[in-house]
Amino acid sequence: MSAPEPSPESAPWDVVVIGGGNAGLVAALTARESASRVLLLERAPVALRGGNTRHTRNVRCVHDTGDVYTPGAYTYDELWCDLCAVGDGPADEDLASLTVRESASVPGWMTSHGIRWQPPLTGTLHLGRTNRFFLGGGKALVNSYHRAAAAACVTVWYDRTAEDLEFTEHRCTAVVVSGPGGTERIEARAVVCASGGFEANIGWLRQYWGSAADNFLVRGPATNDGRVLAALYALGAEPAGQERGFHSVAIDARSPRFDGGIATRLDSIPFSVVVNARGERFYDEGEELWPKRYAIWGRNIAGQPGQIAYSIWDSKVNDLFLPPMYGPVAAASVAGVAAELGLDADAVAATVAEYNKAVVAGSSFDPSRLDGCRTDGLTPPKSNWAQPIDTPPFYGIAMRPGITFTFMGVRVTREARVRTVEGGAFRNVFAAGEIMSGNVLSSGYLGGFGLTIGTVWGRIAGAAAARAAS
Amino acid sequence: MSEPDAAGAGAAAAVPLAGLFAEADRQLTICNACRYCEGYCAVFPALERRRDLTSGDITHLADLCHDCRDCYTACMYVPPHEFALNLPAALSAVRRDTYDEYLPRVPWPRTRRGAMLAAGLAALAILAVLGFAVGGAGGAGAAAPAAGSPYRVIAYPALVAVFGLLAAWSVVVMALSAARYWRATNGRGLASPAALAAALRQAATLRNLRGGGAGCSYPGDEPSGARRRLHGFVAWGFAACVASTVAAAISQDFAGDPPPYPVLSAPVLLGVAGGAGLVIGCAGLLALRRADGRQPAGDDPAHSDPAREDPALARRGYALLTGLLLLAVSGLLTLVLRDTAAFGPVLVVHLAAVAACFAIAPYTKFMHAVYRFLALVRDRAEIPQKSLAAAAGRRPYA
Repeated sequence: MSAPEPSPESAPWDVVVIGGGNAGLVAALTARESASRVLLLERAPVALRGGNTRHTRNVRCVHDTGDVYTPGAYTYDELWCDLCAVGDGPADEDLASLTVRESASVPGWMTSHGIRWQPPLTGTLHLGRTNRFFLGGGKALVNSYHRAAAAACVTVWYDRTAEDLEFTEHRCTAVVVSGPGGTERIEARAVVCASGGFEANIGWLRQYWGSAADNFLVRGPATNDGRVLAALYALGAEPAGQERGFHSVAIDARSPRFDGGIATRLDSIPFSVVVNARGERFYDEGEELWPKRYAIWGRNIAGQPGQIAYSIWDSKVNDLFLPPMYGPVAAASVAGVAAELGLDADAVAATVAEYNKAVVAGSSFDPSRLDGCRTDGLTPPKSNWAQPIDTPPFYGIAMRPGITFTFMGVRVTREARVRTVEGGAFRNVFAAGEIMSGNVLSSGYLGGFGLTIGTVWGRIAGAAAARAAS
Repeated sequence: MSEPDAAGAGAAAAVPLAGLFAEADRQLTICNACRYCEGYCAVFPALERRRDLTSGDITHLADLCHDCRDCYTACMYVPPHEFALNLPAALSAVRRDTYDEYLPRVPWPRTRRGAMLAAGLAALAILAVLGFAVGGAGGAGAAAPAAGSPYRVIAYPALVAVFGLLAAWSVVVMALSAARYWRATNGRGLASPAALAAALRQAATLRNLRGGGAGCSYPGDEPSGARRRLHGFVAWGFAACVASTVAAAISQDFAGDPPPYPVLSAPVLLGVAGGAGLVIGCAGLLALRRADGRQPAGDDPAHSDPAREDPALARRGYALLTGLLLLAVSGLLTLVLRDTAAFGPVLVVHLAAVAACFAIAPYTKFMHAVYRFLALVRDRAEIPQKSLAAAAGRRPYA
């Protein structure tokens, strides 16, 4: 432990960073390069520190040449095209292109701050070239950054919730923080808000999703309630991003309400048929390679009655995806699986029979590419990896939308300064990470890009905050 | 602070074997759906080659685990998370149970402890009867042994008889245990030179204590290479001591050069290096164990519950390290004191220690070397076959 800090009343901190996830840690480390007193406020205790970052595993960055961790080049143009192809494309083209351009220097920065890498994880074949996997996943990354922060004498306070920001004119003077010792006022010369989205605030989600939000599961901690975002809005910050914008995937309906993370995700969809509570198919399960489509399925399921859907497959494909954490239900017939899942067995059996009949015979099934194994005359079609579901035992799992993070946040300038509804910007308040992801993302998501946004904007915000503090 | 080891031991003892396996299975199933840790060691890639785990699989994975704890430090599902993963603890509990499980079944004694006691006492009795009853000086042949020769203390034929008998006993019990283990884990690959060579390489370099490059999160949660280096001192020190004995046997029986050997001779140099390696390694690992035992328990808000090794297994770890340390120190003393009056008593202590260790080795944590090596062989043997299978039916998002 370092020497005791002067009490907060004695002198303002140069930079106070709200949030101890990737963006906050990167901002704090960057700010500390030129600011002398940097304080990071982590809402969780040590054991649960890191917010959503705990559940991450890779970062998507531009690289013009391949190496052992990302074999093959991934150019600016290609990443840009990938970003344009998800959802409604980039939200703010200028900031999104800045993000993509700056991503090229992210891996080097991470390495120099203690991050170790590993070859692409098994079962992530399609991500190996574009995404760089850090050794041990997100919690290991958080641990490494905390080690770097300790070495750089960044002060970290745990169990601290930022409740509000105090302003004089357009300048923030203090952060109001609650913690084990009650509420205190922490004076700051500059503030970086890296406190994440509001996905764990079901009441807030209900404003845009109605009662459907009650059926959403949240993949990260329950503390992501958007408290700082709400405070910034109340202070006149300009919103960015769509109200219903979020990154959401299909996860096991049996998952915990909060913080289930990666292990609850289901990758069976491209090899299965997916039906809703009425036993009807509703979306092309084989539209694209899974890493380009996994992020639309949370939204797909959110739009179905009861926000629930069921993936059903047979033993031919059972080994082609990650084994589900809770295991599938199994039965000797499709109707048996449907009954076990509490569905109308006849309706599901009829849907699967109709699908089986529509599968075009002859193409060679190949999970590693768009194989053209498709249905004919079926609505909606299944465009790839369509095989008859005919080999017992049959399997099924109920799925719900698993919300990773919300996109709607605060609008920022190119130096991460938070803009105001009046057309200006706060002088010393900056934002990084999910709380400003709506400047970059609209409605779709690209795997590993959340970490990219957090790292790029954490660096920008940290450096700008240090400048603002001096 | 409470006494976590004692409390943990009681809890672990109360759980039946099926419970330990069920708990390991629960945790490994979550790991297999996550896979973030596959860069750390052989356990996770081996897990990923399986879907439904048998008890043999779980035993295999438990022995493949080198207890480096990097997975625990990296895991977002450790307590207080409701998934409550603590894979190093779960796998070490399985190891503790299976180490006993595969000992040869004999009508008496029924317990591992009883067997250890019986074997140790028998060894000492044999040593006493054959060795000291027969007596030293002159026993080896016509000429009286030189000063500093062990044969002044114990006659050469008695020495060979005692230690030959005990070594044979040890090897037979270990081999029977290994065979039972091999069958239970559906082992394969012992006949494959490539798998054997790869496993030997991994064992010799302690590859699985590298933790993806950062080292072990042990003690505490900061990665460090200390444990791997110290374990290397122990393993290679032990090997050097064995080599020293072999070199002495060759000098005496083939070169006709009886002990004592000069300082600059293979038996002495190897013995000194081995003894020093054992002392450094065992003392260092004991210190790490002590530091690990002092890690804050779960009631410390600053840390999650540390990834404790099974308490009974941890005690066996202490015992093995202490035993090896005693062997090394007494062995070094026989060299240092060989020209003094203390030589006789020190040699007696050393020989008694060696005899007892030979006799009880199959019942101690020494067996981790056997089981872990077999696990490495099996693991390496799986790889070529599986990569062939993967090439045949490329798995996209397996």
